[in-house]
Parts: sequence; C-alpha cells; structure tokens
Amino acid sequence: MSPGQPATATGPFAASSRPRAPSVAMGDIAVARNDGVLRTLLGSCLGVALYDRRLKIAGLAHVVLPCALGRDERPGNYPGKYADTAVPAMISRMQELAGDERLKLCAKIAGGANMFNTADASSTIGVQNVQAVQRVLDDLRIPIIARHCGGEQGRKMGLDAATGAVTIDIVGSDTTTL
Amino acid sequence: MLTKEQLAALTGLFRHGSDDASHALSKWLGRPARVAIEDIEQVSLSEATEVLGDPEKALCSCAMRLSGRLTGQLMLNFDDASGLALADLLLERPIGASSAWGQIEQSAALETANIIGCAYVNVLARGFRENDAGSHEVVPSPPKFTRDFAEALMQFALMNQAMASDFVFLTRTEFCIEDSPVSCDLLFVPDADCFASLAALLPT
Repeated sequence: MSPGQPATATGPFAASSRPRAPSVAMGDIAVARNDGVLRTLLGSCLGVALYDRRLKIAGLAHVVLPCALGRDERPGNYPGKYADTAVPAMISRMQELAGDERLKLCAKIAGGANMFNTADASSTIGVQNVQAVQRVLDDLRIPIIARHCGGEQGRKMGLDAATGAVTIDIVGSDTTTL
Repeated sequence: MLTKEQLAALTGLFRHGSDDASHALSKWLGRPARVAIEDIEQVSLSEATEVLGDPEKALCSCAMRLSGRLTGQLMLNFDDASGLALADLLLERPIGASSAWGQIEQSAALETANIIGCAYVNVLARGFRENDAGSHEVVPSPPKFTRDFAEALMQFALMNQAMASDFVFLTRTEFCIEDSPVSCDLLFVPDADCFASLAALLPT
C-alpha cells in the first residue's frame, strides 16, 4: 500500500462512509498502514491493537469470546470473534500489507468490562477474553506494552496507524492515551 | 433460527407484553403512553449492535436479569434528555429541571424499569406453558443503572447468545409519552438456551 492510503475494514462495516475512521464491528478485524484511525466500541469484548512502529502498520481486532473450540470460524463474517483465531488472522492481514518485510509487533489491549457488575455466567467473559488474548500473544512472543481492562464501563478505543497511539474514551471521563 | 410460523406466534405474545407494559407506564406516569415501534427479529451480531441507534451515543440503561421459566436480559434504555424528563414528570417538576443523573433521578428511572419490566414479563410468563413442576414463574432481578455507549450496552445484552451463534433474537419496544419529550426502549434478549426453547414453550 502507498503512504496515505486509507485504512481498510473488512466485514459488515467495510462500506463505512468514514474511510479514515473505520468502525471495527463486533467480531471484526481492520488493518491500516501509515495513517488513519481504527476505532471500536467495547463492553465485555476486548480490543486487541497490534502495531509495527517501523513499518507503521496497525491492526485492530474486536474479540468477543475466548476461544473457537473448533467451531466454524466463518472467516468471511466474523474473523475477529474468537481470541485464539483473531490474532493470527490479524497478523496474516498485517503481513499482507508488509509484503516481504518482517513484522515486529507490540500489543495494546483494552476492554473486558463487567458491565452492570452482574454475577451471571457471561459476566466473567471479559476476564476470560483478557486471559485468552494474553496466552495467544505470549505464544507468539508479542509483548503487551499497555492495557486498559476491566471495570464496569464500556470503552471507545482508537488506534492511530501513524503513531501506534491508542486512545480510550469512557462515558463521563477524559480521554486516556496508551 | 425460528421458522416464520414460530416467529409469528411469538410476535403475538411479545406484542401483548408491550401493550401491558404501555398501560403500566401510563398508570405510573398518569398520562397516556403508547408503543411507537416494536421490533421482534433475528439479526446478525453486527446489525444487533446498532439496534439502539448511534453506537457511540451515551445512553442510560436499567438492566434486569430474568431467571425461572425465561432467562435473559431485560433492559430499559433512555437518552439523557428522555430519562431526565421522565424523572421530572415523576417528581412533578417542570421538564428540564433535572440536569444530571443524581440519586433521585436514577431511582426514578429504576422504578420505571421495574414497573414496565414486570408488566412485560408477567404477560410472557402467563403466555408460555408451565414447566414440568407446573410453574410459570419468571423472576426479574432488581434493576441496575448504568450510563454507557449504546454499543457497549448492546454487547452486554447480546453476549450470552453470541456464545452460541452469529445471529441473535431480540425484541425492542419503543414507548412514547404523550405531550412530553420522553421516549424509552425496552429490550429483551433471551439467553441462548432460553431462545432455543422459546417455540416449544408456546401452548399447543
């Protein structure tokens, strides 16, 4: 891709009318090079941002559940739904942008809230998502250099492809930059 | 996925629930309320996250967990203007008097959720067949209040079904209060197990 080429989102939001700020929907993945801001909204889901500082290649996955457990991944629809399949799929797309260059990635993660502080079965999904992503990144030797996880509130997460900066917005709070 | 016939049969029951909830809201506020929109549908996850409108908009939500014959999430959602106007109506203050979500305004929203939610759930409970022990009982938890992004609220509601499928079943009813700026959305999202058995719960 040439410098300045806008970020590209796949899946249901691919035809976004805001090409420089594609929304990464639940279970989706987006990648970008050089500029553009990838954005997603997170409750108990987890946003996984990968970035290569030298090549300025960014990827953002919206992980819904910890693992696919052999279920049909339906990569055309929800490539980012499961932690164990989302990260490799995202790296594969980032590698396409990198061509023959070798990626050197670091990660920032955010989300995994327990909204309403409930105690039902799905309330621990946020924690499980964080643990699952951590395992996958450990296996791939990708360091997590910043995180903004847990709590009881949702987050708006943005990943700037030019700098690798991740911004976090929470309703009623100032923006945090990771 | 439900068949068209099953969906039609369930639609009648959910509409009855919305009507009773609307009557309960009218009584509670002392002025006419009506059902403005009613959606009962199976949609993809990505479509479902937009059911409450702009995903980035901050909304207030009062959530109740259902247990018993029906399990799932029941949520009453307002934007700030509607929710605070509702509090003004209930507290007999001029519309616009409330400007922030203090304890009393939250309490007004929670009590409204309790009243509408119970009216809705009671109709559903009566409409479904009793279980093997002869019980129709559906028990809502006390509602909890939060203010968050619309999409984050939807993710919370959808999570249980998302574990089982890329498609979700949900019902959304929008209520409007006459001669006021108040409108609110009641959202019911059954758990995956509950959804799988909904059609079987209908009387034969």
